Amino acid sequence: MASVVIMPKQGQSVESCILTEIRKNKGDKVAVGDILFAYETDKASFEEESKVEGTVLAVFYNEGDEIPVLENVMVIGQEGENIDDLLAGAPAAEAPAAAAAPEVKAAAVQAPEITVHESAPAVAVEGKRAISPRAKALAQKLNVNLAYVVATGPEGRIIERDIEAAAAAGARQTPLAAKVAAETGAIAPAAGSGLAGMARACDLGKAAAAPAAAAPAAKGKDVLESGDDFEVRKLSNIRKVIAKSMQASLQNSAQLTHHLSADARRIQALRKQAKKLLEEGKLDVNITLNDFICMAVIRALKKFPNVNTHFLGDSIKYFNKVHLGLAVDTERGLMVPCVKNADDLSITGLSRQLKAVADACKKGSISPDILSPEAATFTVSNLGNYGVEIFTPIINLPQSAILGVNTIVPRPKDLGGGVYAFVPHIGLSLTYDHRSIDGGEATRFLKQIATEIETLEVEF
Amino acid sequence: MPKSQFADPDFLRKPGEVKIAPIPVNQYNKTIKDELKEKNFTKDDLKHIYRDMFTIREFETMLNLVKTTGGYNGVEYNNPGPAHLSMGQEAAAVGMAYNLTTDDFIFGSHRSHGEILAKGLRSIEILPDKELKKIMEEFWGGKTLEVAKKGFKGGSVKDLGMHFLLYGAMAEIFARTTGFNKGLGGSMHTFFTPFGIYPNNAIVGGSGSIAVGAALYKKVNRKKGIVVANLGDGALGRGPVMEGMTFASMDQFTQLWEGDMKGGLPILFSIMDNQYAMGGQTRGETEGYNFAARIGAGFNPDSMHAERVDGYNPLAVIDGFRRKMALLAEKKGPALLDIVTYRYAGHSPSDSSTYRTPEEIKAWEAIDCIKCFGEKLVEAKVATEKELEEIREHQKSIIFEMYKLAIDLEVSPRMDLVKESELLGDMMFSNASVDSLSDAKPDVNMPMEENPRVKQLATKERFAFDANGKPFSAIKTFGIRDGLFEAIIDRFYKDASLIAYGEENRDWGGAFAVYRGLTEALPYHRLFNSPISEAAIIGTAIGYAMCGGRVIPEIMYCDFLGCCGDEVFNQLPKWQAMSGNILKMPVVVRVSVGSKYGAQHSQDWTSLCTHIPGLKVVFPATPYDAKGLMNAALQGTDPVIFFESQRIYGQGEEFHKGGVPKEYYEIPIGEPDVKKEGKDVTILSIGATLYRAMKAAKLFEEKGISAEVIDARSLVPFNYDKVIESVKKTGKIIIAADASARGSFLNDLAANIASFCFDYLDAAPVVLGSRNWITPCHELEEAFFPQPSWFVDAYHERIAPIAGYTPTANLTNAELQARAKKGI
Repeated sequence: MASVVIMPKQGQSVESCILTEIRKNKGDKVAVGDILFAYETDKASFEEESKVEGTVLAVFYNEGDEIPVLENVMVIGQEGENIDDLLAGAPAAEAPAAAAAPEVKAAAVQAPEITVHESAPAVAVEGKRAISPRAKALAQKLNVNLAYVVATGPEGRIIERDIEAAAAAGARQTPLAAKVAAETGAIAPAAGSGLAGMARACDLGKAAAAPAAAAPAAKGKDVLESGDDFEVRKLSNIRKVIAKSMQASLQNSAQLTHHLSADARRIQALRKQAKKLLEEGKLDVNITLNDFICMAVIRALKKFPNVNTHFLGDSIKYFNKVHLGLAVDTERGLMVPCVKNADDLSITGLSRQLKAVADACKKGSISPDILSPEAATFTVSNLGNYGVEIFTPIINLPQSAILGVNTIVPRPKDLGGGVYAFVPHIGLSLTYDHRSIDGGEATRFLKQIATEIETLEVEF
Repeated sequence: MPKSQFADPDFLRKPGEVKIAPIPVNQYNKTIKDELKEKNFTKDDLKHIYRDMFTIREFETMLNLVKTTGGYNGVEYNNPGPAHLSMGQEAAAVGMAYNLTTDDFIFGSHRSHGEILAKGLRSIEILPDKELKKIMEEFWGGKTLEVAKKGFKGGSVKDLGMHFLLYGAMAEIFARTTGFNKGLGGSMHTFFTPFGIYPNNAIVGGSGSIAVGAALYKKVNRKKGIVVANLGDGALGRGPVMEGMTFASMDQFTQLWEGDMKGGLPILFSIMDNQYAMGGQTRGETEGYNFAARIGAGFNPDSMHAERVDGYNPLAVIDGFRRKMALLAEKKGPALLDIVTYRYAGHSPSDSSTYRTPEEIKAWEAIDCIKCFGEKLVEAKVATEKELEEIREHQKSIIFEMYKLAIDLEVSPRMDLVKESELLGDMMFSNASVDSLSDAKPDVNMPMEENPRVKQLATKERFAFDANGKPFSAIKTFGIRDGLFEAIIDRFYKDASLIAYGEENRDWGGAFAVYRGLTEALPYHRLFNSPISEAAIIGTAIGYAMCGGRVIPEIMYCDFLGCCGDEVFNQLPKWQAMSGNILKMPVVVRVSVGSKYGAQHSQDWTSLCTHIPGLKVVFPATPYDAKGLMNAALQGTDPVIFFESQRIYGQGEEFHKGGVPKEYYEIPIGEPDVKKEGKDVTILSIGATLYRAMKAAKLFEEKGISAEVIDARSLVPFNYDKVIESVKKTGKIIIAADASARGSFLNDLAANIASFCFDYLDAAPVVLGSRNWITPCHELEEAFFPQPSWFVDAYHERIAPIAGYTPTANLTNAELQARAKKGI
């Protein structure tokens, strides 16, 4: 039986060796202990002794060849012996690749959650903010108003990219404006009257929160002037209707308001996506943040049929469909048109419908039918655009509840591990009629709206 | 063990017994008359012995009075520095020095004023006037002599020599620029190499291995003279002394070294046994040898020719030295003399000798070595009492004159580090560039081109990738170990003084095959295996370099640096500045940083070395850098701790275009290198971490973040320019290495970068080191050493969050604070 001489593995890390000298060639007789060949690794030289007696029947390599370890180098046997089997396994044939063991990935370690902000806040942020030296220097160079910068660095720090983003978004102010702002505590508006919308010193005080700018008001006169300083106007019809229904609502129901807020990153992301699609011409409707909120409300209402109701004194009317009322501010006054069967609509459909009814209200072409309080099963009133942080909307009776939507504010959030970051949150104020719904259910419903907002999935 | 030596089981298992020849104790019994009759001394010689002993006594008395009474002979002076005095030990010192010439070197301890004065006085006595004059006039450009002359009232050149010696030593002790070492050595490190007086050592036993290295230098470089290691009895408790003796006793000197190199080292261990190791009594309390000479029996079959002599009789000591020096001349070293002596004063002036009785001190004073020797001189009619009185008065007056000059700030100023703030800083390194430290022709076994390794390297690929960017196989690739080899063998053929040693350096070729091929190239005396004695490996290298040779000692695993802590941290970095730049320290310590082998074989201790002023520290990570930095280290004259990583000895050159040049080139120590350009974040890596940083750069690229990777290459010195430039561009930096993060050099880099680039930073520099744990076994190392993903995790958590990224490692500030609170 012929024996195979392999290239020994000299050390854990050795993959191949160089055959430096062949001492026994094909046909040579060998005795036990004879040196068959010499070889070397990158670290040392070795000699391979024969462990058997016989004749070299085959040598598979030449001097100077690099041979993978454990590969056959020679065959020693009896002259004339058939070694075809061994030759088959010679270097010409590829050694079968070891089946790669499936790599088992270690389970991911519990990792800290790090917030990534993606859009700018609607309103200015007051007070001292953490900012990297580099970002600070850049802000100075580009005259960026830090009040409008979204901090995306770790632990809510403003970093370079935030300044670049804010500069690109136009949150810039002139150096004079910055100086005046710093001295008076006034905040420049996000968009000013300077070049490319840069805020100028004269723009200070036009921002929502600018108390100092209002300070030098006209002094009161020393002597009261006599005479009429007023005029009396008749109420318009619509004003009468509003006055009546609002008063009736407060007098005739047991309403109270709960407030909570939802992480707004999801809907901000959706809004960004929608905006991009619109710009790319892939969407023909501008889907607003409010549209997404309404969609979230509709989905919440489907899960809380007790809220999608009219309270009728001795009975409650449950609706199978959601007819969504939307408070619209018009020159003539508040109007609440309704989108019928809103729960049948896609996000684009809903957006179109809401826009259509709102436009109709503003133009005055709205059908009275859909303005009727009875037409909607639930109403949304959104004052977020105006920066309102909390309010108590009044229920459009006989509806059981109304949702007030507030502005988005960055709020510190515990990200775990002692890490806090500013996360944009949207405020939600639910006024409900306690005659119709209890506090627990109202709270759960409000929380459901928040959850829907935070996890909203839509198809464009 | 070399193949030529056979570990024969038959011999090794044979019964028998070890025979130890008796060790002589105080056998000298000659009288002065005997000695005169044998013409061993002239009458003048004997009077000089008396004079020298008295000079030492008065010198030490002066210092003692300054320390304890605030002045000497009514002239006030406050000496705040140390004073370890040796009143009582004068006969031992003078006897030690008597037979030595300026070719013979002495090394001492913290209590060596007596030894240096004895050696100095003896050198003055035997040097021809012309030579002595030249030495004095050339030293510090004649500045020291100039001041000494102010107190010189005329006389012989030798008399002037005594003024010079006493003034130079005093000025050094009082920290004056005119002192022998510009006042930078002080009391415990005063020395004067032109007289063969080499450094004393404030670390007990410090000279125990350094002196052996000096003897090695003399032997290898065929220099005249012997080396005396003056150690105290307390030093025998020190491991490095035992290691030095082991090294000095190696069988290979007589069994393997060839030709004129065959034979023992010319080293004489001189144990000044003054009975006390500070307050501990070595005989009877803190040691167990009873006679210090006994320890000789532990080291070789000759018991190191150990012998005890009476250190209260200078002639007995002289006799002992004469006989031992004859043995050394016959290449029968090492030798050991145990010299019985006694110190009257305490360890230092603050020691009130509570551990001994006044009776004991009185008993020694009754046989005081100077008083008794004087009496014998009178008795033998060598000198009259009046002559002796004249000698004493003369020496006293020189000491007083020199004292007044040495304390005078006008003529003996201190270094003004306020006015010239960088004076001392500029002395920390010698920064010289010298091809060879020897004029001799290097001893080699064959022309370099015939060396098997050199031939093998000629066939290797000097760049890691082929034309298609495919890596060559490991065995074909010219790796880091090859780059190191090329630089080292080149220097072996250039500089005859260069030697290399360490554990497994010969035959085996170094544990990591860097030296493979050197065994064939070099005779034993230039490349040899050392005992597993890291303190001796570094200590001897220090002595070797101090005497003027170039040397590469090797520490096989970085973790073993702890075994030579004193040598690496207290000796190697100090001597250039502490000598006032008289000494150079061309020692390249190769230190291999392990991995895979757990807690005691896988630590990166670069930071320990960067912490100690006076060491250059490099850690190349590519073959091009390894060769270039090794060339630069070997061309220089400063101590370089040369770190290598066991992870990458086979690593090919991936960065330098054209691969590793075959020719000689240097990479200046201290210059980091940009390995990959980028614009969004800078990664500064040390050592083998480079390759994980490069992987991290790929991960960053996948996220659209372009990383610039800078390889530190050197840690001390370190030129921040390239890093600052990069951080100005990126605003962000991650600094990474395999050292445990806490207390590592990474934090030094981070703090400096934060300071240098503050206005440009978009986040605080992030330090990415290993965990503050034991290094776990190889299979768990990924949790310990920085991994490529950690870079991205740290970026996400501490620099700029990446949208949609989920980190795996928690590297947040909060987590780091929590870990710090737990001390991990």
